[in-house]
Amino acid sequence: VAEGVERHGGGRGSVLMLLTDVNRELGYVSEEAMREIAKASGISTAQVQSVATFYSFISLKPRGRHIVRLCGTISCVMKGSQEVLAAVEKELGIEAGQTTADGAVTLETTSCLGLCDKSPAMLVDDTPYSGLTPGKACEIVRGLRKGGGA
Amino acid sequence: MKKEVLLSASQPELGSALRRAVGMTPADVAFEVRNAKLQGRGGAGFPAGVKWVLAGGASGARKYVVCNADEGEPGTFKDRVLIEDHAERLLEGMAIAGYAIGSDKGLIYLRAEYPYLVPRIEEAMASMKASGLLGSGILGKFDFDVEIRFGAGAYVCGEETALLDSMEGLRGEPRNKPPYPVNTGYLGCPTIINNVETFVAVPHIILNGADWFLALGEGGDSGTKLFSISGDVERPGVYELAMGSTIGELLDLAGAKDVQAIQVGGASGRTIRGDETSRVLSFRDLPPGGSVIVFDRSRDMLDVLENFMEFFVHESCGQCTPCREGNLQLLHAVRAIAEGEVCCRKCLAEFMSLAEVMKGTSKCGFGQTSSNCFVDIVRQFAGPVAGQGGR
Repeated sequence: VAEGVERHGGGRGSVLMLLTDVNRELGYVSEEAMREIAKASGISTAQVQSVATFYSFISLKPRGRHIVRLCGTISCVMKGSQEVLAAVEKELGIEAGQTTADGAVTLETTSCLGLCDKSPAMLVDDTPYSGLTPGKACEIVRGLRKGGGA
Repeated sequence: MKKEVLLSASQPELGSALRRAVGMTPADVAFEVRNAKLQGRGGAGFPAGVKWVLAGGASGARKYVVCNADEGEPGTFKDRVLIEDHAERLLEGMAIAGYAIGSDKGLIYLRAEYPYLVPRIEEAMASMKASGLLGSGILGKFDFDVEIRFGAGAYVCGEETALLDSMEGLRGEPRNKPPYPVNTGYLGCPTIINNVETFVAVPHIILNGADWFLALGEGGDSGTKLFSISGDVERPGVYELAMGSTIGELLDLAGAKDVQAIQVGGASGRTIRGDETSRVLSFRDLPPGGSVIVFDRSRDMLDVLENFMEFFVHESCGQCTPCREGNLQLLHAVRAIAEGEVCCRKCLAEFMSLAEVMKGTSKCGFGQTSSNCFVDIVRQFAGPVAGQGGR
């Protein structure tokens, strides 16, 4: 948080940027981090929490080292994203919204990723993958569990 | 008709439009954009030049130029493609806006789903700075710098005042209007907010003039428009057509067969029957945001509708009741229709009237348009009255 305050400056306007940074660094935003951000921005922890809970990309629960977001919107559904989701869930042994026991991967479904010309698509951390098949998607998440990728 | 300007392979030299702009007075630049009748390319269609003229005339020591790159409408990806291929042109358009309204600060609000575009934008910024087209002392006339800001996964932040709140570090909830952003925008300062495609069109307008832009369109519309087409088509992708082209022309380009339904303008847009190919892509008929999704006859339109309503329920900011509760009720209604539980005209009329109430009483464009797909799809494709209740 202190580092972020240096980068973005304190104050009310930097709350979302601080939350995004912490979320990226730790994979989630802890209560302690929210208290720190509140102190740095001169607002209450409750206000910080109200911002944090508004956005889908910010998590208040610890997540895996990698976040896999599979698009759940119609263009991807029409091209088989539900089959991809089922295969990835089976491969990881978890359902969407959960994290693998080894802490490697959190699986989420998300609103349109804007990759509908190459459906079905998913975002792994900051990297887009498109034109997925169940097999291709499983191979990608297997790679993540082995500690590959960043 | 297919007409490539923004996506044309032969692009004008970078900076030539900016050079021409600084030879005009800032007010004349804003007037040129207004006279070109450039309507907001995000989908709302508000005349961009009117924003520019108003913000240019507003008083304030600081003014901001904001690029709305929160492309979240399901099925839209044209802005992603524009940033990938024409990021420099976008920055040139923003710089021209800065000159026109007297702002030295531009902000690109980029959706969290596009983090991989950041290196591309930064590269464009660096090259523009190196050629003296961005930063301080642009062409010896003015200063203008651009910074990237991030969304964090919220569809509603594409609404311009929610976007401002989000940039100010708040929950992205739409504000009451008035006051309008042109007077009271980012941090209370006069601000213009335009879509990526709108800014990319600006340099072409400045170079060729408002009359040229007006003549590009068909049937009284101006300019060209990008469409992201996906779903049951052979060649999904981004196509540029004259504004005022027909939906049939677009379908021919993308290759669509056995079409049951076409959704124009994303989940919040209108859904039409496959045979309505003479409908016009224009703010006069089918408001063109960027998304066109095609459904062939194998698709169950109730499944499609359920997907959209789930989307709206998830993305509603929850601030006002018609939108927060209305979308949830409509989702229940879709499921009930699918189960065959809503089969009388009376129940259906209740839901249609709820859709109408949402349209009339929601605070922002989200709730005012989210019931469109329900009305269109239930009426034409999947309602009990259409004789297809139950599955």
